[in-house]
Amino acid sequence: MNRIKASLLPAALMGTIAIGSGLATTAFAQDPYTVGVEASFPPWAYVEAGEFKGIAIDAMEAIAEEAGIEIEFQDMPFPSLIPALAAEKIDVLATGLTVTEERSENIDFTIPWWETNDVVLVPEDSDLNVFTAVCCGARVGVQGGSSQQAWMEENVVNSGDIDVELAKYDNYVTAVDDMAIGRISSVIVDDTSAQEYINAGKPVKMAGKIFIRAPLALAVSKGDPQEILGDLNQGILAIYESGEWGKIVEKYIPGVTVPAIPGHMPDFVDTYQKPVAGLPELGNE
Amino acid sequence: MDIYDVLLRDFPFLLKGLGVAIVLLVALLMIGFVLGLGICLVQLYGPRSRLVQWPLMLYERIFRGVPIIIMLFIFFYGISGVWDISAFGAAVLAMGLRSAAYQSQIFRSAFQSVPTGQMMAARAMGMSKIKAIRHIVFPQAGRHAIGPWTNEFSSQIKETSLAYVIGVVELTRQAHYIITSTQGNVLTVFAVVALLYFILNRAGNSLLYAFERKLAVPGFEK
Repeated sequence: MNRIKASLLPAALMGTIAIGSGLATTAFAQDPYTVGVEASFPPWAYVEAGEFKGIAIDAMEAIAEEAGIEIEFQDMPFPSLIPALAAEKIDVLATGLTVTEERSENIDFTIPWWETNDVVLVPEDSDLNVFTAVCCGARVGVQGGSSQQAWMEENVVNSGDIDVELAKYDNYVTAVDDMAIGRISSVIVDDTSAQEYINAGKPVKMAGKIFIRAPLALAVSKGDPQEILGDLNQGILAIYESGEWGKIVEKYIPGVTVPAIPGHMPDFVDTYQKPVAGLPELGNE
Repeated sequence: MDIYDVLLRDFPFLLKGLGVAIVLLVALLMIGFVLGLGICLVQLYGPRSRLVQWPLMLYERIFRGVPIIIMLFIFFYGISGVWDISAFGAAVLAMGLRSAAYQSQIFRSAFQSVPTGQMMAARAMGMSKIKAIRHIVFPQAGRHAIGPWTNEFSSQIKETSLAYVIGVVELTRQAHYIITSTQGNVLTVFAVVALLYFILNRAGNSLLYAFERKLAVPGFEK
């Protein structure tokens, strides 16, 4: 048994020490900004053949070039992204992130760069419409922590009159697949993603639209500790005006109408008060 | 491009994810081994004072009693207030410390399976406590521990897949990438991933069983 002790213990100890020294991430001023993405959320961010792709990825790279800053992407599941931003584990959140009042209390938003409405997706052969799909004991799929979940809870589930059960998924692709099996009868998702699923040939169709005019934006930690909100705002406007934004969007969602930037800026977001960081002429009075 | 072509093209990335899972596994098992053995030895042969025993018991109860996913979040977000820990570091620490709690109990049962009379006899022959543990008790307990330890090994392989919740891109997360970028194919992709986990598990356990056979005392093999 001496053999085990002689061979295993020192190796184990050395390994532990080696790992210990690699645990910390040291932060220097020149370090690139960490951009958190949910890389299983096409067309905004996804990984193909080991590379980050998507509207948010390409646009973030264009903005970084515009602003002269270095960035690196860090992938995390969507429910972990906002806590990570609030805890300053990442510096910027770039994914299809909807601006909501609740979120704006914990993180700071850039100017909106997209606007979505939600759609009710049902199986191709279904004869449900937007009203019959979301009622009467139906199980409806949403992504956990998403704005669709919040909207459904606020307007449908908690209203009490409509008997609907929400099924929360880690990501929308699983939700849509689960609907194909028949575990849920419909999925509430933003129109951009819905178009993506239909383009990809999934056996789904839109039963109807819920017009919520939800703005999407990038976000930074509350109070903008890295002081990059101004750079990001200017960058978004710059790539929109140069036409680069339009090209990026067209590449991922062919044929879509690109909403104007800056779009509708809700009153409840404090970073949308005049003057907006980096763009002092904009903002709500 | 059908899913099999995509899987073939992205297989190196799945292997990379498997590599991350293996490094995480080895690191957490080592932390667990060193700390777990230490805790077990102090619990069995250390000072009986409550000042020493209670914190150890508390540690072991907490880490065995809290779900690993919660530990991952606590270590990743909680520690970052004090120390800027990376996602991988947080996963190694959370899972390693938890494994230590489990392994301490594996070792405790192995040590306790050695009849106490042997310790008394060794002491009566003039061996120090440390010498008696090293030369009499440990060689027997170590052999007893391998069987239950294969259990810990197998369950920890599978738990590495949870580290993706704090952003460690291991095998399961790489599989998610393929699933979402191809808009589906959940069954095919996860079948491949399940096979990879299974092969790793079998390979590791075979090595451990071979180790157990190699160490078996002649005449006492099962």
